[in-house]
Amino acid sequence: MDLEALMRCLGTGSCVVTQLTSGMIIGMLLFLIASGVTLIFGVLNVTNFAHGSLYMAGAYIALTLYQASGNYFIAAVGAAVAVGLLGVAFERLLMSKVYGSNVLMQLLVCYAVILISDDLVKIIWGPSGLSMGMPAEFRLPPLRFMGGVIPPFYLFMIAAAMVIGLALWLVIERTRFGKIVRAAAVNGPMVSALGIRVNLYYAAVFGIGSALAGAAGALAAPVRSLTPGMGFSILIESFIVTVIGGMGSIVGAFVAALLIGFTRSFGSIGFPLFVDGMMFLFMALVLIFKPSGLFGRPHR
Amino acid sequence: MTRRWRDLGLAGLGLIVLLLVPMLGAPPAIRDFIMFAMAYGLLAMSLNLLIGYTGLVSFGHAMFFASGAYAFGLAMQSGKFSIPAAFALAIAFTAVLALVIGAICVRLNEIYFAFLTLAFQMLIYNVILGWVSFTGGDQGLMGGIPRPKFLGIDLADRTQLYVFCSVLFVVCIAIMRQIVTSPFGYTLRLIRDNQERAAFLGIDVARAKLVCFVISACMASVGGILLALFVSGAYPNFGFWTTSGEAIFMILLGGSTVFLGPIVGTVILRILTDVTIAYTSHTELVLGIVILILVLGLRKGPLDVIAERLENRRQAKAQKVRDAADDASGKKP
Amino acid sequence: MLKLEGVSKSFGGVAATRDVSLAFADGSFSAVIGPNGAGKTTLFNLITGRFAPDAGRILLAGVDIAGLDRREIVRRGIGRAFQVASLFPTLTVEEALAAAVQAHQRRETVKLQSFPLAAAVSRAGEIMEMLKLTRVAGILSRNLSHGDQKLLDIGLALALDPKVLLLDEPTAGMGPEERWQMIETVQALWRAVHMTLIFIEHDMDIVFKVAQTVRVLSYGTVLAEGTPDEIRRDPSVIEAYLGKSAAA
Repeated sequence: MDLEALMRCLGTGSCVVTQLTSGMIIGMLLFLIASGVTLIFGVLNVTNFAHGSLYMAGAYIALTLYQASGNYFIAAVGAAVAVGLLGVAFERLLMSKVYGSNVLMQLLVCYAVILISDDLVKIIWGPSGLSMGMPAEFRLPPLRFMGGVIPPFYLFMIAAAMVIGLALWLVIERTRFGKIVRAAAVNGPMVSALGIRVNLYYAAVFGIGSALAGAAGALAAPVRSLTPGMGFSILIESFIVTVIGGMGSIVGAFVAALLIGFTRSFGSIGFPLFVDGMMFLFMALVLIFKPSGLFGRPHR
Repeated sequence: MTRRWRDLGLAGLGLIVLLLVPMLGAPPAIRDFIMFAMAYGLLAMSLNLLIGYTGLVSFGHAMFFASGAYAFGLAMQSGKFSIPAAFALAIAFTAVLALVIGAICVRLNEIYFAFLTLAFQMLIYNVILGWVSFTGGDQGLMGGIPRPKFLGIDLADRTQLYVFCSVLFVVCIAIMRQIVTSPFGYTLRLIRDNQERAAFLGIDVARAKLVCFVISACMASVGGILLALFVSGAYPNFGFWTTSGEAIFMILLGGSTVFLGPIVGTVILRILTDVTIAYTSHTELVLGIVILILVLGLRKGPLDVIAERLENRRQAKAQKVRDAADDASGKKP
Repeated sequence: MLKLEGVSKSFGGVAATRDVSLAFADGSFSAVIGPNGAGKTTLFNLITGRFAPDAGRILLAGVDIAGLDRREIVRRGIGRAFQVASLFPTLTVEEALAAAVQAHQRRETVKLQSFPLAAAVSRAGEIMEMLKLTRVAGILSRNLSHGDQKLLDIGLALALDPKVLLLDEPTAGMGPEERWQMIETVQALWRAVHMTLIFIEHDMDIVFKVAQTVRVLSYGTVLAEGTPDEIRRDPSVIEAYLGKSAAA
């Protein structure tokens, strides 16, 4: 515990700026992944434990596309789309077969997918860690702000995540597609009885959720090292975010993700050994006082 | 009463069979295989108390496997405890841990329970990894586990270690059998089948779940202790999520509705893993595919299928009884 | 024995129960009827503690049980059978009943003896006799016929030695002959065991033939109460069921 170091940091403009931005990018990545999880859970009532693997796929595919095309934007969009399609395939071929079954079956399917995808990554890209490095488009001088230094890519990440988040929210709340999806979340059979092919919407939702994870992976690729196990560690954190924010709430995912992001960044200075503990403490508090999450609907 | 004696007799028989293995001159590889199977078998059996009998799907059970191993290892390394004392200490520590974690988790619904147990497990795993000065970090407990003699037993001797583990294993299985066939065991089944109605019968569901959680954790910790003794160390992967996943997979492979199913699953998985390794290094790929085939195809373990056939036969007999009674009383079908 | 005073309950703006006051005499055999959506099942849910009422008191032998924990209400003697039988699929009839009895005898946490305990078995046997379930003792709950499932559902409530037994549509889903058999079994049960029995029913022939008193609910309020004859002739009841033209 080094609270003095934390206090010192909060006193310096440069430290605050650095930690704020680092906290924000952690938060934004978590937000993208968590909103995918929460979307899938809210509509399909299924917890996609394999979501981390989609994030990993996004990172690796982005790397390969970037190496092939030399253009980061193509790589990022391509990766998101590719992972979205992977997600649809996963849903149609595997997950939809265990929708009605108990959690154990769903867990096992996801566990199998994690095993298979980890090994496939090892086979295709090799077991050792890879690095993308800063893409050419962003090898720009860092911005100076309040005595602190912000790499331009970080700003791009934050902006991109916010734009995607906003777009997602608009689609769900303001479009016909979103309305049908929300209706299907509450009463699938009824929507089906109205003549709408609910299965297509389910697949679409899963695809969107997956694409979100893929986008997160593509955004993370320049600033994180790529390893076959990278999906799992971020999965736990994104679940904590989803629980704190409330299953089914995108706004909740946003708020909780920022909370966790800042806890991580400032916490790594003030109490490095307890950062994980803090996250769990928050989650435990939420579960005790408001089990449906900060913004969640009170549950069945 | 007769069932009790029959079960005890079978347990005794099982122990004798286990003990005969080294005596009949089996190669050390077989003995080692059995030791592994006993340690992981306890993990799987204890987890099935939760999954198969109470309907509580825990995805983080390996945390208790690890807590038993590390607590025992650290106690022995401190030099202040005899083996039986360290044993008791490790189990007590795990029980307290399970009490705290269980108290938070058992009141939650299915999905949150699964996820939260997973999250706690990863927290413990990270603590083990991070606290290098205490736990040795990712190298595991270094320096081995000292094995001073106690009560004239010397666990440094491979054969004596095997006997000791076999006895502990059988005793634990017998304890679990007793619990499962006791009134409490049927209370757990009530909760599994219809939690709402169980509450309507006046049962304190949360309390029953918590008690089962703690007992199951203690059994898992014994498995961890056995493994620690066997490999003379404790490693972080004892508490990694893949170990929990494997335990669930063992239950699926063997069958969750049959008492000894998980042990059969443990053996099958180890054989499967050993065979796969001989041909390819991509064990995860193969395992993943096998899981998918089982989950999407059979949807239950092979022992479950057999048990179901036997149950159907029993039901057919019971239905004949009913039909006869109905005919006699003139009831229309 | 059971008295409701001014009980109300709303669910998000929909008033399911509005200022209901009813009294059920000890040992009586009453029916609660009313059109669909009248709030009959909600009433049962309020009595058994599934929800707490927004207002009013629910008195069991003079003691207010409104808002108490469900388990406490069960312990005080309210038993309930469900519209859709709520059973334990993987247990046989005798196992399920023995387990229910053992819970009532507060021995459900015993770990050092074998299930089933002798005391539980004998009581379970009595219940099976009363409900004519002895012939299916060894059959898994999920393999039972619909009628037997409903009987087991009642049996599970009986295992608690209830002072008040609530039956939610005991004859639901049955053909005409089976319905009479069921209600006769219920009546025989009531004569054999001293308890206050309240049942929700839609079959008017059965209600008028068998019930001592009838309470009619409509839109969450008590429309009428009285003997079957009085209810049969009550114009507001006829109107509630058949519309204004029929009452005229």
